[in-house]
Amino acid sequence: MLTGCDQSADQVLQNAAPALSIKEATPGGDTSVSYKPFASFELPAANLPVEARPLFHAGKALAHQPWVKAPTITDTRDGLGPLYNARTCLMCHTKGGKGFIPETNEVPIMGTLVRLSKPGFDKMKGVIPHPVYGDQIQGQSTSLAHQLRHSQKPGSIAHDVAPEAYVYINWQTRTFTYPDQYAVILRKPELDFRNLGYGPFGEDTLFSLRVAPSIHGMGLLELIEQKDIDKLSDLEDGNNDGISGRSNLVWDVEQQKTVAGRFGLKANKASLKMQVAGAFANDVGISNSLFPQQPCSQQQITCNQVTSGNDKNGVEISDHLLDLVTDFNRNLAPVIRRDFNNKEVNQGREYFYQVGCQTCHQPDFKTQDSDEFPHLANQHIWPYSDLLLHDMGPELADGRPDFLATGSEWRTAPLWGVGLQEAVNGSKALLHDGRAETIEEAILWHGGEAELVKSRFIQLPKKERDALIRFVNSL
Amino acid sequence: MKFIKLAACITSASLLMACGGSSSDNDGITTPAINMEKAQLVLNTNAEIAYAAYTDSVETAKLLQKALENFKDDSSADNLTAAKKAWLVSREPYGQTEVYRFRNSPVDSLDVEGDLNAWPLGEALIDYVNTGNDGDDFDNDQIGVTEHGFGDDITTVIDVTNASTKAANTNTIIGNTDIVIDGTLLAKGLAAKDEHDVISGYHAIEFLLWGQDLNTTDQSTTNGNDRRLAVNATSAGGQRPIEDFNTDAANPESLSARRHQYLAVVVDKLIVDLKKVQAEWATGSTTNYRATFTTLTNAADATQKLTEILTGMGTLSEGELAGERMQIAFSSNSQEDEHSCFSDNTHRDIWLNAEGVSNSFYGSYAGYDSTLNGEDDVTTNAVDGYGIDEYLTEVGLAGVAVETATALTLTEVNYNLIDASARNGVPFDVLIMSPTEESPVAKTIKSLNAQSRLIQDAANQLGLGVVVEEDASDCDTQDPTTEC
Repeated sequence: MLTGCDQSADQVLQNAAPALSIKEATPGGDTSVSYKPFASFELPAANLPVEARPLFHAGKALAHQPWVKAPTITDTRDGLGPLYNARTCLMCHTKGGKGFIPETNEVPIMGTLVRLSKPGFDKMKGVIPHPVYGDQIQGQSTSLAHQLRHSQKPGSIAHDVAPEAYVYINWQTRTFTYPDQYAVILRKPELDFRNLGYGPFGEDTLFSLRVAPSIHGMGLLELIEQKDIDKLSDLEDGNNDGISGRSNLVWDVEQQKTVAGRFGLKANKASLKMQVAGAFANDVGISNSLFPQQPCSQQQITCNQVTSGNDKNGVEISDHLLDLVTDFNRNLAPVIRRDFNNKEVNQGREYFYQVGCQTCHQPDFKTQDSDEFPHLANQHIWPYSDLLLHDMGPELADGRPDFLATGSEWRTAPLWGVGLQEAVNGSKALLHDGRAETIEEAILWHGGEAELVKSRFIQLPKKERDALIRFVNSL
Repeated sequence: MKFIKLAACITSASLLMACGGSSSDNDGITTPAINMEKAQLVLNTNAEIAYAAYTDSVETAKLLQKALENFKDDSSADNLTAAKKAWLVSREPYGQTEVYRFRNSPVDSLDVEGDLNAWPLGEALIDYVNTGNDGDDFDNDQIGVTEHGFGDDITTVIDVTNASTKAANTNTIIGNTDIVIDGTLLAKGLAAKDEHDVISGYHAIEFLLWGQDLNTTDQSTTNGNDRRLAVNATSAGGQRPIEDFNTDAANPESLSARRHQYLAVVVDKLIVDLKKVQAEWATGSTTNYRATFTTLTNAADATQKLTEILTGMGTLSEGELAGERMQIAFSSNSQEDEHSCFSDNTHRDIWLNAEGVSNSFYGSYAGYDSTLNGEDDVTTNAVDGYGIDEYLTEVGLAGVAVETATALTLTEVNYNLIDASARNGVPFDVLIMSPTEESPVAKTIKSLNAQSRLIQDAANQLGLGVVVEEDASDCDTQDPTTEC
């Protein structure tokens, strides 16, 4: 274990920042887009070939325009639910950015969801889903009683398919005080389930609150070679820095085998297509060839009986359209940095490396060759994540294992675009459950493998902490 | 200072701006300085057109309201036709306003666009729809409606007066008489952040008036011929029978009365929402959007606002119209994947959106078409002002102006082909069943994308591109909206 200020001083010398490169200004390499006139995470890669652009927008239509209750005459757009979290992808991933979490317990969560499971391990699912509610709470249903809940008297319309629960957040606050006496208020969410539609959860149920992450740059992350990620993995902590990242090993439904996971907050999805298909099936209730089931457990009888939007192949979104949406997601571009050359920002960059943030927030990679997506290939990218799982300590733990990821492990969050998040769509929610509203709060919640790095940050004078934060906000 | 031009970073939806205004970059393009006086003229005209087109939208929505009231008072087939015609006319000015989206102008910032024009519609929540008999929608055994079953495979007919049918439809807003249909229904109906009202707006009225367009049911055998009967101005599209409106209409609990009530509530909200947007574009206020938009403080401000106009034009052309409305219809191979699927009026949506882009470019607005013959005959609020074409010429970019104008003209030729096809009995939803290069839809998509690239090129030439400075500076652009 490394502790104490002396050790920290040594680290300062060991972790001097590399020379600033002009390439850092464009985190997505040639794919990077501008933040003018409006910051956005839903723009196509700047170098997306002209002929591919119409298909990007066609895919966006299916991520953006509402899915509706079946049956409708727009038969490729129906099949919502019957249980669902949102009727579009971009409702939660607003403008491609992060979802929202309520400030108070007066409104239920929207753009945020709760996963649940029972203790145990399943080689293909990663978790043991709750026998009644499945592995996530769908707070909405196509039932008219739910749809009109704000305008009609409660009980005046009978439910056909009841929503699973309305989830509210009670925020528990506490104060963190730096050694220099500067204080920050931190908040932690406590789940408050109301209107349980299908009975009590039972005692040994595990819950995990998740704010929808931003979805830009995914095609670039997909093209990082696994060996480049594996190189960063340090299972036995051989370098004795207290940090031992590892890949999650997850089930790939297309390849029908266990592979390294890279996507998702616990790196529990093998491919971008699985990530998109899984979200369609569970978040929007749109069945597809990878996940052909409706979002109903056997006990949710009405849910299984109402009209689906299935086509002749028994799915609500065809493979062709699913591929379009996956390509849309794949081509969402990272945004050019602001303040790339600002003096304070670059002082902050020095502190970022000095305290050791980059040991997990791996600054850069080079994407591999790709015949299919040559514009995404061989790009020098700056996601600031090693895409590995790390133990983040008891405070951030959700206690809900997923494949190899323990209840306290999370995948390092990419930092590219984090400073634009609020400008993109107004969401301040940081970390997996949105508890942090500033970069500073997010840093202060770090624990476990990140404890030592965090303690070095805390020891910095305020001016230096502010510079470091400003650097992160410029990414 | 060394500048690195990031020309590749520029996209049509993200027209970029230089830090520091006029400069010359190392591509050899000399960026003209912002001409403040002329930029002011562009903004004034742009605002004037917005006010005119939204005013015409409000006026035609009021005419629609009047037509719906007449239809309620006398639910005759003639009055249904008149109401349909009023709806089609109301789309004529509104379609031209959509170029004001995608630039944080009032229709988006007031968060009303979804309530006005959301699509697809959640029709299954509103009123009866056909259902398959084995749990799959659009099976071969659909429930049709009386009188108008064109397809051989529509075998079952809903009797709207039948009590058991009514019972079967209690899961719709119209069918469930316990549901109160009033302003609250829409104001608070699906007001949660996620739920942009797919039960309100233009398309809800369209669905109520036309009903589902059930012509041809087996997409794989669509040949277009069976659509011809349905396509002819006001008789096009869906097959809602007049009995849906005149059966027991005096009884407020009847389904007919509830449909009339629903129409009244939706058109009320439509007018209220349109008026909100109109007010933000009105002259005479010092605090509304127009006042802010047309007050120029410095060159950077002018650049930002010109960029916003061009962003709306480029995004509507490429992303929304060519992509999310047209390309997806090709890609999904679904006959009713079209914006105005009940009325088969999508050819006008395309025309009018594209016309809106031209309006912004030329700084003119010709009014709208009240007779549905393709000519703008209501010119009360027409505008002939200072366009982007003139601005480009003024600052020495006449070549760019001509190129862009040529591209807009080609788009016009192509969308005219779609319009003519629809008027001759082959509407958009039939055209998309043959996604070939020769299709006027394919041609229009292509020319819209080409014009979008030229709009972006115009923006670049105006110096709206981003530069990254390699030398350190204290320029504070942490807030991406501030200039330095």
